[in-house]
Amino acid sequence: MKPHRTIARAVRGLGVAGALALTAALAPGLVDAQTRGGHVIFAQGSNPPSLDGMVTSSQASRNITMNMYETLFGFSEAIVPIPILAEGYTVSDDGMTYVIPLRKGVMFHNGKEMTARDVKASLERYRRVGATANLLSPVREIEITGEYEVTFHMVAPAPTFIESFASPRAPAVIIPEDDADADPGKTSLVGTGPFKFVDYVPDSHVTLERFDGYSQDGRHDGPDGFGGRKTAWIDRVTFRVITEAGARVAALEAGEVHILEAIPMPAARRLASSPDITLFENMPWAFSVFILNAAAPPTDNLKVREAIQVGMNMEEVMAISSEGLYQLNHRWQYPGTTYDPGEIGAEYYNLGDIDRAKALLREAGYNGEEFVLLTDSNIPQHNKAAVVIAEQLKAMGINARINMVDWPTALNLRLQDSGWNGWTLQMGIEPYLGPVAVTATLASPARPHFVVPDPTLDALYQALISGPTVEARQATFRKIQQRLYEIFGIVKLGDSGIMAAARSNVKGYTAFRFPRMHDIWLEG
Amino acid sequence: MIRFLLARLLSAVPVLFVVSVVTFGLMWLVPGDISAELGGTDATAADLEAIRQRLGLDRPLWERALAWYGALLQGDLGYSYLLNRPVAEAVFERLPVTLSLAGLSLLLATVMGVLLGILAAVRHNTWVDRGATVVALIGLSTPDFWFGIVLIILFGVWLGWLPTGGFVPLSEDPVGWARSMVLPAFTLALTQMGVIARMTRSSMLDVLGQDYVRTARAKGMRRGTVIFRHALRNAMIPIVTVVGVITGVLLSGAVVIEQVYSLPGVGRLIIGAIQRRDFPVVQGGLLVTACVFVFVNIVVDLLYGWFDPRVRDAR
Amino acid sequence: MPADAAHAAAASLGAEIARARWRRRRQFAARLFGHPSFLIGFAILAAFVATAVLAPCIAPYGPTRINYRAILAPPSAAHWFGTDGFGRDILSRVVWGTRVSLEIGVSVVLLTGIFGTLLGTAASYVRPLDGPIMRFLDGLMAFPGVLLAIGLAAALGPSATNATIALTVAFTPRTARVVRASVMVVQEMQYIEAAHAVGAGHGRIVVRYILANALSPLIVQLTFVFAVAIIAEAVLSFLGVGPPPPAPSLGNIIADGRSYVQEAWWIAVFPGVVIAVAVLGLNLMGDGLRDVIDPRQRRLRHGA
Repeated sequence: MKPHRTIARAVRGLGVAGALALTAALAPGLVDAQTRGGHVIFAQGSNPPSLDGMVTSSQASRNITMNMYETLFGFSEAIVPIPILAEGYTVSDDGMTYVIPLRKGVMFHNGKEMTARDVKASLERYRRVGATANLLSPVREIEITGEYEVTFHMVAPAPTFIESFASPRAPAVIIPEDDADADPGKTSLVGTGPFKFVDYVPDSHVTLERFDGYSQDGRHDGPDGFGGRKTAWIDRVTFRVITEAGARVAALEAGEVHILEAIPMPAARRLASSPDITLFENMPWAFSVFILNAAAPPTDNLKVREAIQVGMNMEEVMAISSEGLYQLNHRWQYPGTTYDPGEIGAEYYNLGDIDRAKALLREAGYNGEEFVLLTDSNIPQHNKAAVVIAEQLKAMGINARINMVDWPTALNLRLQDSGWNGWTLQMGIEPYLGPVAVTATLASPARPHFVVPDPTLDALYQALISGPTVEARQATFRKIQQRLYEIFGIVKLGDSGIMAAARSNVKGYTAFRFPRMHDIWLEG
Repeated sequence: MIRFLLARLLSAVPVLFVVSVVTFGLMWLVPGDISAELGGTDATAADLEAIRQRLGLDRPLWERALAWYGALLQGDLGYSYLLNRPVAEAVFERLPVTLSLAGLSLLLATVMGVLLGILAAVRHNTWVDRGATVVALIGLSTPDFWFGIVLIILFGVWLGWLPTGGFVPLSEDPVGWARSMVLPAFTLALTQMGVIARMTRSSMLDVLGQDYVRTARAKGMRRGTVIFRHALRNAMIPIVTVVGVITGVLLSGAVVIEQVYSLPGVGRLIIGAIQRRDFPVVQGGLLVTACVFVFVNIVVDLLYGWFDPRVRDAR
Repeated sequence: MPADAAHAAAASLGAEIARARWRRRRQFAARLFGHPSFLIGFAILAAFVATAVLAPCIAPYGPTRINYRAILAPPSAAHWFGTDGFGRDILSRVVWGTRVSLEIGVSVVLLTGIFGTLLGTAASYVRPLDGPIMRFLDGLMAFPGVLLAIGLAAALGPSATNATIALTVAFTPRTARVVRASVMVVQEMQYIEAAHAVGAGHGRIVVRYILANALSPLIVQLTFVFAVAIIAEAVLSFLGVGPPPPAPSLGNIIADGRSYVQEAWWIAVFPGVVIAVAVLGLNLMGDGLRDVIDPRQRRLRHGA
């Protein structure tokens, strides 16, 4: 049934030198002994809202869909946009046209070849139903300029267009033209990825199987971020939804699942020395933030917001909410990345200065008004952070009350001007995508996080997206960082990580933004 | 008999109507809707409004209610935006899991409960009786979901004998199915076993004290024959009643146990749908569950008549 | 018979009844506390109530005091029941948690008692209302109680008050049925007819005669409602719709511990044991009450 597995066993009998030679013959360019075949079970905590890759920005969906679909461009391991289904692109000097040749011979799971018509149809659909359809708002028109070429005509020059177009948040995946008119969630779930859809039982599992007609990207030696040369070794992968963290861990230990998206840290510490389990640290993974509502009293007062900023002990919040997997970071970028703004704002971070907070509160004329701390029951990091913050606010003399609701309600409430003062949130994908994505959530017009727009910040955002060079954008981002520590509309708590875990017989797995089911294999 | 059945079925109609109205009322009260779930964290108010319009959630409640009842009369339970499939399909796919969980635990609870009860009654006022009574009471007083967690720690984690959760369909792997159902069924059975044991004990005590049982014993019939053929038969009437009540309780309890053991049953479907505001699933799911309830009650009534000739003849 | 003579007769009968009732009450109390189940149950409940009332004196730490240097510490001299993921003392949380359970339990009992009595009496005493009320209650009973409570709690938002409302709605139908059944029996009795005959008003008849005599099954039923309510609070919290953090309830402590069953079993186990003991106490009390109030009804046991 699985000839390669037998060979691999024989290989181990031959000793190292012989093994290397044989493996090289089987899979040129790779050193390890991959085994074809097997069924990998991956466990995650929540149900994918949709498997229609472009309509949702949920991580639970992305975990699965990024194995099924591909985009024209995507991020490399080093978070640089690279062509995946595209051959590349050329921009006209005025920045108004992008000519994008496509890779030839790329097959969909339905056996048809991808052409420019599919690409145009997919992107037109993205404009209508894509979860972040504004990604394409800089594009005026998509023109088919060849069997394997599309040309984007822009509204205005957008220097950071390709970066945001490569965003995996709600990926602009390429699907067959036949699905172009399908309502969200009603497509045939056909893509070009290394795995194809088999079945989906909501609240239970999604099964994919290897797509044998997959067209590898020959420009690379191996996988690179969201793209590169992908090789599917395993026959099948099942994404099991196990909502309970403890049950997920138990299933991993029992060998019922092979890979966990995230393992709670106490369990990770317990299993660190287990020979059966391998841990994969994903650090940093997300910003932990605390959003203040500048429209409702008492947080409409700048002094009150400043008091909260200086009174808080970020280390305590992070240590508890992340269960110990965190780094302290006041920056609105990860340290050491291209747009790292440095020490700006550090003087306000992790002070835990209760006296200064009390003085500021007095100055603000704070008089025991209720502070409603909005959080949700679904995401443990959110509600744990809220519990710790509430205790700290009380220590400052703020009359804090937690309002814990379920996630949809929280999303609804925080769009209101009143009824809440603070909201805890993990910003997962934006920091990964870079300064534009982070700032976009805070500036007009998208601005889901700030209730009261700040004109200075909005202007800086415009400067950021139109900044012609990296240096110009870096300078702008430093100003943004500065501004955020002037208006105190959002408190940066720190960076948190996540810990993935796998059975030790899963080989080739690496920590990444989504679980790559290609280039992993089962041993033994 | 048939008239009785028809009358019972007809009387279920207003009950189900109340169920659907209450469900609609709840949906109206629940803040938020599915747009947040579909739109995700980054969606702006305008994005959410667009989703609402697309799904018709911006229409007034009465309009949606009318459309829903209209479809229901044609046997259509509606469509789930989130699961992306007809509600009926989703519910009926889950129903066997819930029913088999409830059915298995009913069996376990009845067998264990009746045996424990008989034991206590036959050894009335001995340490066996007291022991059985204490076991029954402890079963009755233990929160079942907590007991489930304790069993997971014990059998799943420490001993590693049974899976800690998850479900294997019977059609795929009967052994795997049995393994995945043992702990949940036992957890759920525990509480109700206590109820049945207590019922059986008192009912048996009544019967054992009656003249004909004493006569049978006096005539030299074997103890086992007396207990199982004569006494138990007559003690069954109240036991059947209690079993009927319990079936409802078990269906309800199954909802929680499904959560504890991650079983894909109707309860988990409905709870997930409530949390994600997938209203058609909540409505359809509750209606189907209520139908099962009503149906079970009718069956219990019929059984009751079968066990008690007086009721049967009166009809 | 002249009306005033009838009233006089009724009054002397009333005085006789009152004397008899007083005598009966003393005997009743004596029998109740002579009943071992009731006595044990009463002692457990008393301890539970004492813990709840004296929580500030008993708990060694503040129930919400965070200590990030003592996260998930196992039971020790400093923390008898260990600590949770926030480094909070589980013993203190359990002690304070009994307050929430008790508050919810008592409120649900009172509300269920009131609404159950109103609906049950109305249904049996006012005949035209019987059909509609009972169909409505049947409708509510056709929901799995937990789902109804979850739906309500989701609709109203998680809080102790809303959990109380949800549980009241879930438990009232069965209580109303119990009341209705016993009122139906009582109102056919001759002394009710007699009261009608001497021209007593409906209100007086219902309160003075019918309810007073239908009270025993109600009280027995309510002890079981109390027991079930304590468990149900835990279930709601477990499902995330109970009293919200950081205030502890026995249920939300178990829910917290659910994620740590392997690393920190003590979080989920201790509050569960406390619930089981408290409910055991209530069940024992209920059994004792039932035996003493009405030995024939021994088998009438209503689950929830």
